[in-house]
Amino acid sequence: MNFEAVIGLEIHVEMKTKSKMFSASPNSFSREPNTSVTPFDMAYPGTMPRVNKQAVINAIRVANALHMTIDPLVRFDRKNYFYSDLPKGFQITQQFHPIGRDGYLDIEGKDGQKKRIRIERIHMEEDTCKQLHFADYSLLDYNRAGVPLVEIVSMPDMRNGTEAMHYVEAIRNIVLYSGTSDGKMEEGSLRVDVNVSIRPYGSQEFGTKVELKNLNSTKNIETALDYEIARQSACLLSGTPVRQETRRFDEASGRTVLMRVKTDAVDYKYFPEPNITPIRLSDAFVQDAIDTCPELYDAKRERYLAAGLSGTDADIILSNIDMAAFFEASIATKPALSKIVANFLIVEINAYLNKKGIEMKDLPLLPATLADIATFQNDGYTHKQCADILVHVLENGGTAEEARIARKIEKQSSNDDEVLAFVTAALDANPQSIIDFKAGKDRAKGFLVGQVMKAAKGKVNPAAVAKVLDAELAKR
Amino acid sequence: MSYLDQSIRDIHRALVERLTTPLDLAKEVLARAKASKDNAFEMILEDEALAFASSLTEPEEDNLLWGIPYLAKDNFSTKDIETTASSNVLNGYKPLFDATVIRKLREKKCVLIGKTTLDELAMGGTGTTGHKGITYNPYDPSHQRMVGGSSCGSAAAVAAGIVPFALGSDTGDSVRKPASYAGLVGMKPTWGRISRYGLFPFAPSLDHVGFFTRSADDSAIVLSTLAGRDDMDSTSSVKPVDDYASASPANLTGKRIAVIREIVDSITNPEVKASFDRSIDALKEAGAVVDFVSFGLPELQAIYPTYIVISCAEATSNDANLDGIKFGPFLGGKTYQEVMSNARTAGFSELIKRRFVIGSFALMRENQDVLFLRAQKVRAKIVAKVNEILKDHDVIYVPAAPGVAPKIASSSDKLSNEYLIADNHLALGNFAGLPSITLPLTLIDGLPVGINFMGRAFEEKELLSIAEAFENISGLSGLSVHEKKEARL
Repeated sequence: MNFEAVIGLEIHVEMKTKSKMFSASPNSFSREPNTSVTPFDMAYPGTMPRVNKQAVINAIRVANALHMTIDPLVRFDRKNYFYSDLPKGFQITQQFHPIGRDGYLDIEGKDGQKKRIRIERIHMEEDTCKQLHFADYSLLDYNRAGVPLVEIVSMPDMRNGTEAMHYVEAIRNIVLYSGTSDGKMEEGSLRVDVNVSIRPYGSQEFGTKVELKNLNSTKNIETALDYEIARQSACLLSGTPVRQETRRFDEASGRTVLMRVKTDAVDYKYFPEPNITPIRLSDAFVQDAIDTCPELYDAKRERYLAAGLSGTDADIILSNIDMAAFFEASIATKPALSKIVANFLIVEINAYLNKKGIEMKDLPLLPATLADIATFQNDGYTHKQCADILVHVLENGGTAEEARIARKIEKQSSNDDEVLAFVTAALDANPQSIIDFKAGKDRAKGFLVGQVMKAAKGKVNPAAVAKVLDAELAKR
Repeated sequence: MSYLDQSIRDIHRALVERLTTPLDLAKEVLARAKASKDNAFEMILEDEALAFASSLTEPEEDNLLWGIPYLAKDNFSTKDIETTASSNVLNGYKPLFDATVIRKLREKKCVLIGKTTLDELAMGGTGTTGHKGITYNPYDPSHQRMVGGSSCGSAAAVAAGIVPFALGSDTGDSVRKPASYAGLVGMKPTWGRISRYGLFPFAPSLDHVGFFTRSADDSAIVLSTLAGRDDMDSTSSVKPVDDYASASPANLTGKRIAVIREIVDSITNPEVKASFDRSIDALKEAGAVVDFVSFGLPELQAIYPTYIVISCAEATSNDANLDGIKFGPFLGGKTYQEVMSNARTAGFSELIKRRFVIGSFALMRENQDVLFLRAQKVRAKIVAKVNEILKDHDVIYVPAAPGVAPKIASSSDKLSNEYLIADNHLALGNFAGLPSITLPLTLIDGLPVGINFMGRAFEEKELLSIAEAFENISGLSGLSVHEKKEARL
């Protein structure tokens, strides 16, 4: 019997606003523990929530990118439960009136075809504080308490791990490029909870749902789902019902492991937050939030393709938002150099970053300098020469021209007459090579090019040499 | 006559003319506070008050509150000063910030003399449930009668002439009911008119900052300072603040006053009834048009259950932060559940736990429809009715309580089958968030009883004008245990 998987995702995204969702304290939880905290974040009596405008703007932008209907009346609710990481004893969220509803996202399916995933809702809420548990005590860091979140809830429209992976990648690109979040799964700023069940093909009923947690990369989502779908199928085939439970992905084994069996769902006793009166967003406010949204991944990709980049090259550059920004700054005044600049970024600069173990944002290079280096290449310097200039700048600083002079790099001639003189001399000096070439020994041609380059002290363009040499050989 | 027994304007004049000083006033307040036997104080801030008062040496002629001493209910956050809301769960808690109203009064150079008792966490109407025990009515030195709650300490202190005004909070009637029992003016303005930042929440959709004074003019002066937008309370209104202090007694000619018939009919005390009737005659004589309107008995009977459901539901959520982890007594425990349970079990009295259980029950998924959501619908219906009445009338006028302050033994905060419309109707003002003011009506065997006017949203100035006109009828402006007045009504 064949089964079909039914997969739905809940994604929590930490927003990188300046301040927290409902208080003025800085939103920077990487600081010393408990230093980004206001009385509100620790639920001191009498403190009151103040809605972060930028968080609303971000949520609108994401909702718009997900083709959602935006509710212009922003309302919040309380989700009540007791837990040590929840300072107020309730979380302020948007249970009854999410800011966005009924959207979709088109992703690439496993078969490479476009697939539409419907999205149920996006809502704003606040994060809890961070807990560190030790043998006989726990520590609480309130820096994270109140960090703004958006939660994006998909419909159960995905059918395999690859789709889920592509969906998360697409969501990450949206939150990243809209400036909403850094979208780092490994650091928990983008957290994915997966719900998965299986059912016989053709069935319209849902099977028993299992929740997967601890998925800290998109690849892990695919791996975990592949495993989990196989596990559930095996259960059903052996006549064992699937239990409703929460399972953790174990990265080392690539398996999912039981965390807890779900009992009756907790009653969160939701009710409207009385300390935030509903906020009516004007049409102009919503439109402005959308209009001022930074260019998103898909739009950039289209632009890069139009500039001559291959799909793979565009994806590589866009996989690092800082690199994309660098790329765009480099080609800002010289769009014709797009391909050359992209090449340097993808090959030499990525290699340099890996070698040094640094991030793109720490690269000791100005975009304009890379543009200058690309201009050299465009003007006839070889790629190898320009790569040398680039390395020199990366290691010593300074301008492209200074590096060129320091490295004594001269432009190679492509002038056919100049080249012809060197070629003729080389052919005349090496008759045996001509005979070898005619006898089918290709190596002989390489030898001749080498002779030309040597005689010209590298000042002629190897490509031009090869071209002229071909013509001359044909004549002899 | 001590300056303390005078109006704020008179005290101000004396301060400006340097007939007295803020320090002299503070000393006298402290002497009266210490002599008081009504258990009105959580804390007397002698050192702080004297230090601040002695720093006030140059009178500010245009600042009516300069150097005026006052008290605050102990559910207003005061920076570095223990604030417990009369609950053991907050023993030792020192806020890191001042409530906005405390900050505003300090900026006006008002001298905070102390923090007053309340029913635990402001939940209660008797003034008997705080962790310091019963607060008594200064009109009954035998200590048999309550002063009412939850703002019991503030009411008792102003009635006893200790300070000219005191802050309270009003979720159901917690300022306006004790004002009736203590012969005071008790006011809460429109919801959103005064910032609640720093006021410990009980039920935010119903909570109001209020205050006790001994005259409507004093209330106008205090409101002028407290009112206004505060970015720390996003529910506070951006509407411009009127110059309330310039209000003068309204000319009642042609004013339309609505009296809710069922509330008056439910009063059984013949003296209260007779006095109230006389007041209606007097208002008519002054030119007012008094209409008896019908509100609907079921709606009025629904006020209390509606109030209990909504307020307890919100309270159980608001007070979930009191878990012994961040502040308040930490009593240990092996798990976080134990830590919370230990702190909350020891910290809250039985009455509070009862309210939390009611609130949680009302919010449970399976009960929301029939309890919480139904209560919200009833509230909306009641509010619509109130606003309908106020479409054709300037104010709604009713007795503030069914009688004088009850004896302590005869009342409790437990739910009972006994239900009095006239004991619960002031919550109409909280449901609708409308400005509402209680004023003394008369004295019965030396014990005060009050009436209440409720006006339209943000029309506090009009309400205060009518209140001042009413004082001219009742003759009870400036009433306190020191300043006995002859009741006219």
